[in-house]
Amino acid sequence: MSATAHSSDKTYTVIWIWLMVLLLAGVGLAELKVSKQLIVGGVLGLSTIKAVLVAMHYMHLKTDRRLLAFVLIAPLVLVGLALCVVFSSRLVRL
Amino acid sequence: MSTAAHALSAGHAPSHAETQTGIPNGKLAMWLFLASEVMFFTGLIGAYIILRMSNPAWPGSEGHLSVPMGTINTLVLLCSSATIVFALSAAGRNQIATTRKWLLLTIVLGFVFLGIKGTEYAAKFHHHIYPSTNVFWSCYFGMTAFHAIHVIAGIIFNIWVLMYTFSPRLWETRGHRLELAGLYWHFVDIVWIFLFPLVYLL
Repeated sequence: MSATAHSSDKTYTVIWIWLMVLLLAGVGLAELKVSKQLIVGGVLGLSTIKAVLVAMHYMHLKTDRRLLAFVLIAPLVLVGLALCVVFSSRLVRL
Repeated sequence: MSTAAHALSAGHAPSHAETQTGIPNGKLAMWLFLASEVMFFTGLIGAYIILRMSNPAWPGSEGHLSVPMGTINTLVLLCSSATIVFALSAAGRNQIATTRKWLLLTIVLGFVFLGIKGTEYAAKFHHHIYPSTNVFWSCYFGMTAFHAIHVIAGIIFNIWVLMYTFSPRLWETRGHRLELAGLYWHFVDIVWIFLFPLVYLL
């Protein structure tokens, strides 16, 4: 096994541990008797961190060509625009 | 090291790929496909959020969803993401037997996820809860069923790549598809990372 491959495996293991910790933290946070907004923001924030960890390290966006990141960002921008239009509607009570 | 092993080293593109972008066509195609899948699932999840926020009397699960089972299922998928990346790493070192072991474990974890999801569905049907029961269960069954279909597709893709590991000739020429299977599997994992809290926790 090469040194590079070994260090990659170590990184993958550390990321896996973080994913487990963040998942359990999210579940624990949802059980707390605090404001609903804090729980929603906290739990979805933790989910976003988990998704970014998977995309950056397991899907190798961190080290791959930048073009692939743009491929991923493009639909997110479109989705953001669509959500802005929808949430500006009076039908949605925020 | 074989061509496929070079290609898979550290999860990068095959060295022989000469394209305008510098990214192998298959890998770029997979990312473009995943981008379209982002739109698909955001449509589903977005519809759920909007329905929920615009409904003053949101019915919710009324205690019929088990957070521990959902948490275990999330743990299973997160573990399977790790196992497939370990398979890719082993392939990069040309350790085919190890690659096969990790890939097999990924497939097993995929089936475990589906088994738990199937158990949950059976419990709902036992309690006469169906997609037509109310808007929450329509969203629940719609989102989780589409996700489960993607898990099944991912398992098939993984089994397909697993078959290559038994043939040195196929592995040499097609082993790089393990990276594509991994990308798809991680995407399925990311979708569940958001579905789980939205449906079970919040």
